[in-house]
Amino acid sequence: MQMDLVFVGWNHRVASLDLREKLSFTPERAREAMEGLFREKILTEGAVVSTCNRAEIYGLTDLDDSFEALASYFSRFHDVDGSVLRESALSGRGDVTVRHLFRVASGLDSMVLGEAQILGQIRDAHRRATEAGTARTVTHRLFQAALECGKKVRTRTALGTRPTSVPGIALSLVGRIFEEVADCRVLLLGAGETVELTARLLADDGVTRMSFCNRTQEKAAALAAEFGGTVVPWEERIPAFAAADVVLTATGATDPVIPGPEAKRALSKARRRGPLLVLDMAVPRDVDPAVEDVADVYRYDLDAFGELARANAAERQAEVPLAEAIVEESVEKFAAWLASLSMTEVVKQLRFKLEAIRRDELARSEPRLARLDPADREMVERLTEALLNKILHNPTVGLKHGDASQRLELAAAVRTLFKLDGEGRE
Amino acid sequence: MASPSSPGLTNALLGVLALAAYALASVFYTAYLRHPRLKAGRLATGLAVLGAALNFSFLYARSLALKNVPYADLLGSMALFGFFLAGMNLVLEVRHHDRSLGPFLMPVSLLFLLLAFVLPAGGEKRPNLKGAIFAFHVTLNMLSYAAFAVAAALSGLYLVLGKKLKHRSKNVLAGPTARLPSLGYLERAARTSLGVGVVTLAAGLSMGFAWGYHVWRVDHPFWLLDAKIWGAGLTLLFYFVVLVRAHRGAAPVTTARLCIAGFVLVLLSYTAVNLFFSRIHSFT
Repeated sequence: MQMDLVFVGWNHRVASLDLREKLSFTPERAREAMEGLFREKILTEGAVVSTCNRAEIYGLTDLDDSFEALASYFSRFHDVDGSVLRESALSGRGDVTVRHLFRVASGLDSMVLGEAQILGQIRDAHRRATEAGTARTVTHRLFQAALECGKKVRTRTALGTRPTSVPGIALSLVGRIFEEVADCRVLLLGAGETVELTARLLADDGVTRMSFCNRTQEKAAALAAEFGGTVVPWEERIPAFAAADVVLTATGATDPVIPGPEAKRALSKARRRGPLLVLDMAVPRDVDPAVEDVADVYRYDLDAFGELARANAAERQAEVPLAEAIVEESVEKFAAWLASLSMTEVVKQLRFKLEAIRRDELARSEPRLARLDPADREMVERLTEALLNKILHNPTVGLKHGDASQRLELAAAVRTLFKLDGEGRE
Repeated sequence: MASPSSPGLTNALLGVLALAAYALASVFYTAYLRHPRLKAGRLATGLAVLGAALNFSFLYARSLALKNVPYADLLGSMALFGFFLAGMNLVLEVRHHDRSLGPFLMPVSLLFLLLAFVLPAGGEKRPNLKGAIFAFHVTLNMLSYAAFAVAAALSGLYLVLGKKLKHRSKNVLAGPTARLPSLGYLERAARTSLGVGVVTLAAGLSMGFAWGYHVWRVDHPFWLLDAKIWGAGLTLLFYFVVLVRAHRGAAPVTTARLCIAGFVLVLLSYTAVNLFFSRIHSFT
């Protein structure tokens, strides 16, 4: 029986958003899917990774053509045309599976190279599989190794350190200018999705002094209530602008809502210390570029964000070879562990260990054995060999029983019980 | 290499070893800023500690050999300045878990220790350059100069980072620039250094006045008109005004520029005035 680690998946590279929507798993659906796969003896253990950009199933199988079985199963499970699934699927066996998951965990397979959320999503997938009881020895080890690999890539390379999204860049800029982001006074102009999303990120970073200002005051009040901020009437936006540390604007206005001369006057009047960071995310721009004539005013608009995003993406790309090398090193380590659980290897090492014990004991008794005549000595040899073979018989047969996961679990148990640490390796 | 006035080969060797440690620390601090690998960072810190320890030993050995404070001449005072600067770099590094100032402060330590060896040494020995008040006077003044040097370095970084942010440079979030501390930290730390410098200079000058009155009032009745005393007084006044302005909310960019200008004043007062203008107050 050829047991192997396999995966099949549909990600942002190969499947359209429409297809990914159809193939996505809620935690309950993931559990149902795994139970079905066990029932139909396609997999013996495994886990589902389902995010906006991917639906992937990893597991251990005894089947030679697991891809066909998995594709056919998911066609029925999701009620999607099987040929579409087969054409757009990514799949692999053995090291290919391990490498794919490790690359996913490292952010190398993400839509935004090096994005950090995927590590948390892999951790969630592992936790859910553990709770559902679908993850066993190999899946546990696979996902733990994937998480380790992802963390290693994150700490040893700069792959994930450069933000590429507009809110991410905005937050990084706040961090470049202010010592304590949480102490910043932030004014948010507008009440759309961008303002809400950035307010959420700022709140996550501990910012509590947020003021919301919008032409329709009710919308600003709703956001202020959600984030524990205050409301600034639209007419008072200029003095509020001059009093803030960070101003984020994303209104739909056609003319600057912060005109240059008025803003400059307000800034010169305001008794303020320290810089003012203006994050203008509106098109057309909300803040007159002339405000940056004032010392300590730093103004960023969407063009500047775009430039930074491109520069950061290029920096991330430069880190890919180093990240790939870390992935490869982790794949080799995992492959070595998995190979050590192969039945042939375990039996070979067990025999080597017991044979070494037999020889040691014979050598220890050599002074007394030397007194025996050759025929008796030969009989002692044969006797100890026969004992060894009888002891080995049951484990050797036992390691062939059960499904792929059970066999690997038994192999792992034998390795632990007999302390087989590379015995008899060539 | 060692100045003729520096006593002993062991002493000179300690100084040379301190120079080597500072030079290597500068190299590793710079390498760490470019590529933050932990090994380079630890090496930089270790070498800076070693350099400071050797620098201190150099001063101590000198003190034993001279049977006086080791900084009664230009060589000693420059070596003390280098030691204080290296010490301040290490204090800031430990306090803020940040090595980004090392590439800028360690070369200054190196430069001053090197200057201590290469600048011409005088031959005349002044008999009165001893005593607790004199020791405090020089120590506090050197400490204040080191604090002003740190303030200038932090201000320089503030201006560089500020300029990159102002011009929306593509590498504000990448490369060595991204590893510099935030503008807020640079501004606050520069202000703190400025405060430390003003207080220690005021205290050091007070001690100097007490010592000068005691030693010079008979032989040099016009000692208060000495260029060095005026230079130091003006430096204190300048920094005091900058500090008050900064606390009253002056634009950090202006404060940063004034800190750099002030340090030029310190260097002038310390070197040119000392060497060429002061009559009773010059180092020998």
